[in-house]
Amino acid sequence: MKEPSSLPIAKKIPARADEILDYVQYVLHTVEEQVALSLEAKRNIKLILVELVTNSIKHSKDDEASIQVIINHPTLTIQKVDKGLQIQFASNSHQIPFVDVNKTIQVSFSEKKKQHIKVLDRYEFEFVDAFKEGISLEEMPEHFGLYIITLASNRFVYQHDPTSMENRFIVNLNLDE
Amino acid sequence: MNLSKEKVNNILVLSIEEREANLSKADHFKQLVSEEIDKGERKLIISFKNVEYLDSSFLGALVGILKHLIPLNGQLILTDLNGDIENLFALTRLNKIFNLKQDLKTAMLDL
Repeated sequence: MKEPSSLPIAKKIPARADEILDYVQYVLHTVEEQVALSLEAKRNIKLILVELVTNSIKHSKDDEASIQVIINHPTLTIQKVDKGLQIQFASNSHQIPFVDVNKTIQVSFSEKKKQHIKVLDRYEFEFVDAFKEGISLEEMPEHFGLYIITLASNRFVYQHDPTSMENRFIVNLNLDE
Repeated sequence: MNLSKEKVNNILVLSIEEREANLSKADHFKQLVSEEIDKGERKLIISFKNVEYLDSSFLGALVGILKHLIPLNGQLILTDLNGDIENLFALTRLNKIFNLKQDLKTAMLDL
């Protein structure tokens, strides 16, 4: 069995939105040099990278934020790593560190609209698709980018390390599906 | 944000003249289209012929435009989406909410 391999992503996450497309194409090319991708996988990887980078441009204050890609066939993992405070939810939501683990709960970022998450640990949760039957215009989650990543992946997890103050958005894709 | 417009009978055809429909352009795009709606336009076609990808911010702008048009009994059709953009609409199931057509000709028949 092959060992997991971490791909070298030499380019920094762009600071401007107009550089996203070139960055995404660069990362995708790096992945394709290592593993053959189906059209569907390629499309989903593009969506995931666009939204991870967009999220970084919008929210990360860390100039050293990075994208890491790990292949452990058949799983492809894309991680966005940055340093800073943990995700802050609205004041009426549960907050990190969570008290109740292994529960699916609703949180909101800043408005009334809810994001569904499954709490995995005090500092870790998984994004959950709560709109399997389709979405109405009123229900659209406010952080739609995170929802897109949830739909385009097999698993999407957020982790915060309170000691190193590191945030990880971990996206897993099964390349055999 | 480069947006070209053409009036064909009572239909306003807007073409996004950008390769990237992303967060740096979403607000301006929404504002430009909303201005057209406020001027009285009710039948709109937006062409994505030149667009390579669109992100969640731009999708949010499109949702805002649709929400603006629906109470006014307006109609919005999106055309010329490439495979990646079609995939995004299918994945988010927004293809059930938006009227998507292959090209301008097909869209015109629907309005």
